[in-house]
Amino acid sequence: MRPSDTDQKLRNQRLIFYEDDVEQINRGLENYQQLSKSRCNMLIDVEGHAVTQVGSTDGINLETIAALVAGSVAATKEVAKILGEKEFTSLTHEGKHESIQLSVVGNRTILATIYDQEETTTGMVRFYTKELVEKLQGIFDDIQNRKDPVRGVFDDTGISGLDDVLDDMFGDV
Amino acid sequence: MVQINFAKREINCKLVYYGPGLSGKTTNLEVVHKKAPTSKKGDLTSIATEGDRTLFFDYMPLELGKVGGMNTKFQLYTVPGQVYYNATRKLVLQGADGVVFVADSQPDKMDENLESFANLEENLREQGLDPKTIPMVLQWNKRDLPTVMSPEELDAKLNKYNSPTFEAVAVTGEGVFPTLKRLAQMVLEKLNQEYGLDSKKSSKSSSKAAAKPAAKAEPKPEPVAEKKPEPKPEPKPEPVAEKKAEPKKAEPKKAEPKKAETKAAETKAAAAPKKEWEGVVLGSRAEPEKSGAGKTIGILLFVVVLVLGGLVGAGYKGKAPGKIQKFYNDNLKARLGGGTSGKTGAKTNAKTGDEAPKTASDSGKSEKSK
Repeated sequence: MRPSDTDQKLRNQRLIFYEDDVEQINRGLENYQQLSKSRCNMLIDVEGHAVTQVGSTDGINLETIAALVAGSVAATKEVAKILGEKEFTSLTHEGKHESIQLSVVGNRTILATIYDQEETTTGMVRFYTKELVEKLQGIFDDIQNRKDPVRGVFDDTGISGLDDVLDDMFGDV
Repeated sequence: MVQINFAKREINCKLVYYGPGLSGKTTNLEVVHKKAPTSKKGDLTSIATEGDRTLFFDYMPLELGKVGGMNTKFQLYTVPGQVYYNATRKLVLQGADGVVFVADSQPDKMDENLESFANLEENLREQGLDPKTIPMVLQWNKRDLPTVMSPEELDAKLNKYNSPTFEAVAVTGEGVFPTLKRLAQMVLEKLNQEYGLDSKKSSKSSSKAAAKPAAKAEPKPEPVAEKKPEPKPEPKPEPVAEKKAEPKKAEPKKAEPKKAETKAAETKAAAAPKKEWEGVVLGSRAEPEKSGAGKTIGILLFVVVLVLGGLVGAGYKGKAPGKIQKFYNDNLKARLGGGTSGKTGAKTNAKTGDEAPKTASDSGKSEKSK
């Protein structure tokens, strides 16, 4: 495959979220959270970057949880393949008090639902998850089918301030 | 894979430290974590064995700050270096935006370096990433040890893609930041080439970086890095053309000078990226096409009108209403010095085409027969 083809393929796969997308996703997540009585819901891409979250995230390191969740789902996918399955679409880790359910949304994102066993049950969470996942899938299909010509990620200064930012972080090495 | 989140005005990039077991990948990350400002870093998380060998990955988030109006974040990962853990290495490499290959400089580790680099290439390709175009930096680590290969030897054996290289002693922190800094530059420059407003700004930044004196830890000056064949993304319309087309689309009523309009439109674009996406890109592509097509259609219409005019004139030669014929005979015939209207028409038609006189005479015949 020529490099240009590879680059084009990557661009096509790249997730780009606009405010409207995130508002739409958040509305779905908020509704789901009320119905399932979960504590917090996060949407994470398969590379481990958090996209958005709703609910109480007090005491939760979102970035770290996003990276670990993505790793966990990726590892489980490999286990599924070994067992002859394409993937496991849902994973549940139950604790004494807090639990987390991970649901694969399409092929690029993961829904992480953190819930308190005293407030709701795993069954309730699973029941409402199915509907939400279908809804989110529709939104992501629209996002992925959107044509590529995105320009202007950076403002009119471009990345001209990059050296200063790097110097602030690493020193003028 | 870079995630661009306009809702948070945030860019997330994934950088992976790769290399053979015990080459110093985790140490690199520990140094970054130790020295980065507290407000800019998250926790360092390691999924490791009891003997501190990486089992799955080490991870730390690093917030660079605002670049071009976007809050830029890097997620730093290391892979388990041991050959046995290739399956988990692949998972960590998934969606990487940039790679640091940490090589052990000792001669007896060269086979492991080579094996690991070949494994990196294979795994990148498997993930749909191209080792030639992915931003990559090589680090020659453990330079403080008594027996090490020269940077030139390491370069000859491992640097297949002419990547920037850095000497390092990760345990003391030497060379760790220059390595990461260069990779951060490469990743954002690539992103700016793909999605920037003006690709010229990217090259400006590159030249600034290249103009800087090479750090002590760098055996290869940065201009060498610039020789690296940069990935050429899809052919894009000239940025200048975009700027010209953009104001027309965004603010059609204003008759301001183009420069002012461009600046205003760009500022507007920064505030509302989605609108800018629609305005700049679609506008720039649609406008030139529209004007080109308009010209062609205009010329075609003109020719069609000329031909039809001739045909119609010929067709009406013998059928002109009496009043018009009379008006012609009384007022115009003498001034023009022509013969009968029929003859004039015939002459005109003879000039415009062969078919017209025929039609005209046919028409005349049918009139006579009536």
